[in-house]
Amino acid sequence: MSKRPLWLWAAALAVYAFLYLPLLIVVLYSFNDSRLNAEWVGFTTQWYVTLFNDFDMLIAARNSVLIALAASLVATVLGTLAGLAIHRYKLRLLPMLTIAPIAMPEILLGVSLLLFFNLVARPVLGLELGMWSVIVAHITFCIGFVAIVVRVSLAGLDDSLFEAARDLGASPWQTFRRVTFPLILPAILAGALMSFALSLDDFVITFFTAGVGVSTLPLEIYSMIKIAVTPEVNAVSTLMMLLTLGLIVLASRLHQRSLKAASAS
Amino acid sequence: MRWALLLLGWLVPFAQAADALHLYNWNNYISDATVARFEQACGCKLVQDYYSDNEEMLAKLAAGASGYDLIVPTGNAVESLIKSGQLRPLDKRLLPNLKNIDPAYLDTAFDRGNRYSVPYAYTITLIGYNEQKMRELGLPTDTWAVIFEPKYLKKLKGRVTVLDSQRELMAAALKYLGYSANDTDEAHWRQARDLILRAKPYWAAFNASSYIKELTVGNIWLAHGYSNDMFQAQQDARHAKRAFSIAYATPKEGAVLALDSMVLHKSGPRPDLAHRFIDFMLEGKNSAELTNLIGSGNPNRDAMRYIDPAIAANQAVFPTADIQSRLEMLKDLDRNQRRVLSRMWTEIKVR
Repeated sequence: MSKRPLWLWAAALAVYAFLYLPLLIVVLYSFNDSRLNAEWVGFTTQWYVTLFNDFDMLIAARNSVLIALAASLVATVLGTLAGLAIHRYKLRLLPMLTIAPIAMPEILLGVSLLLFFNLVARPVLGLELGMWSVIVAHITFCIGFVAIVVRVSLAGLDDSLFEAARDLGASPWQTFRRVTFPLILPAILAGALMSFALSLDDFVITFFTAGVGVSTLPLEIYSMIKIAVTPEVNAVSTLMMLLTLGLIVLASRLHQRSLKAASAS
Repeated sequence: MRWALLLLGWLVPFAQAADALHLYNWNNYISDATVARFEQACGCKLVQDYYSDNEEMLAKLAAGASGYDLIVPTGNAVESLIKSGQLRPLDKRLLPNLKNIDPAYLDTAFDRGNRYSVPYAYTITLIGYNEQKMRELGLPTDTWAVIFEPKYLKKLKGRVTVLDSQRELMAAALKYLGYSANDTDEAHWRQARDLILRAKPYWAAFNASSYIKELTVGNIWLAHGYSNDMFQAQQDARHAKRAFSIAYATPKEGAVLALDSMVLHKSGPRPDLAHRFIDFMLEGKNSAELTNLIGSGNPNRDAMRYIDPAIAANQAVFPTADIQSRLEMLKDLDRNQRRVLSRMWTEIKVR
């Protein structure tokens, strides 16, 4: 390893501490034997027991995960396609349309989606608001993020790679499958993870588009704020962090494997 | 592999019960035991969604959310729901237990004749304090003076918080000045504003949610807040085995009372179950369970015998007739009044 000045290490350390200490405290206090998140009293796993007996909270967590999985999956496919199209065809309108939901204030998007669902989905399709409406809403704002990441990654690639593939007789699909896709996979994964995280913690849009009886973790926690948040919330946050961490590890594994496969073929 | 199965089992949605009653409620505003008994009695499922603020609930409904059978809004929010035609009138024949409600909480200004609403529980906006500290400093705890008068406040500098709410703080100041909490005379409002501005340098913060914790930890010795929250702070301090205790009292000048009521939303598909739920909650035992859980005020006369004696004896939760006559519910302001109040609030905040 090359020598780096000490201050660089110190700065890096400080940044990581700033990023991760608050998370560490959340985890630590989920084991605190006190209803108040104020001081350390003693070690307990009581909050995890409380959590696993709290049906509402578990359902909310499950809803959050389901919504985030579905929304990030669909948004990743659509966003990747959008990113490819934007890069290839240099359209003027498409980028604007994809990015608009990101730039729009959340409250506006939330209210207008609710109005849309009520005015169109209910009378025309006979659908009541439910989990599907939240998923659709989340897809709407996630597509943009995936599209941007994919497009940036494509812009960084040399177009002659694709031309070379075509020269050597690859069909458009083969070019995509063997050349483009492996090269932009990190970006796609990054977009997917971003979508997952954005969907998981969205409050405003979810609040408006959630149907009766569909609660998510952010909605549930927010409604507890008035009565003071208990370490049960820390416990559920800790579990969610583990889940997210697991997904990130999985994603990077997949990525490495695909890189190996690409270099082997 | 087993954990993967567990995860899968948790991810697969639970089967929905055929009969369900949808309740749009405050979080932690019904005891789990009550829910279980109701579900048993009606053979249906009680599905709850939560809000943390009346405005939040009104906004969602105004934007067209639907499917809620029951809502539990506070007085003036009931009024806006009635005015916007969103409620379904009650069928009193289905509510024989309505007789249990103390008439003092019926026929209120926001719903004359209770055509739409049935009282559920109430809170009083009062003062909560650190008993030992207040005694040590020789301060009174039965008057708003301790929140507003510099001669008391100078002993408490930086140890007092007031609610971050235009209406509530203004109401407290108006009450202290001897006016009605619903007084809308601009001259009186200016007096109240000046009173607040004179006291403000001594306050630690305008605080709407964390005063429970601050009181329990001991950072704050006096807080303007809701009776339910003070009950929570009292319990927390006891469980944390603090060297001090938290108490709360309704100032003798009077205070604001917020009555939450059960109402039927028009979009609710099950008014039959909703009426059943209301009548069930009007039974003394069920109503008392909420009070025992969160220390809320209870408008149900039949509930008194089931309420924890320590809570029943607490005059801050169950006021004497004398204090009760000086409690007021906040009425909605019109657009013009709201603008004037907002301007004053800005003056208070920036100065």
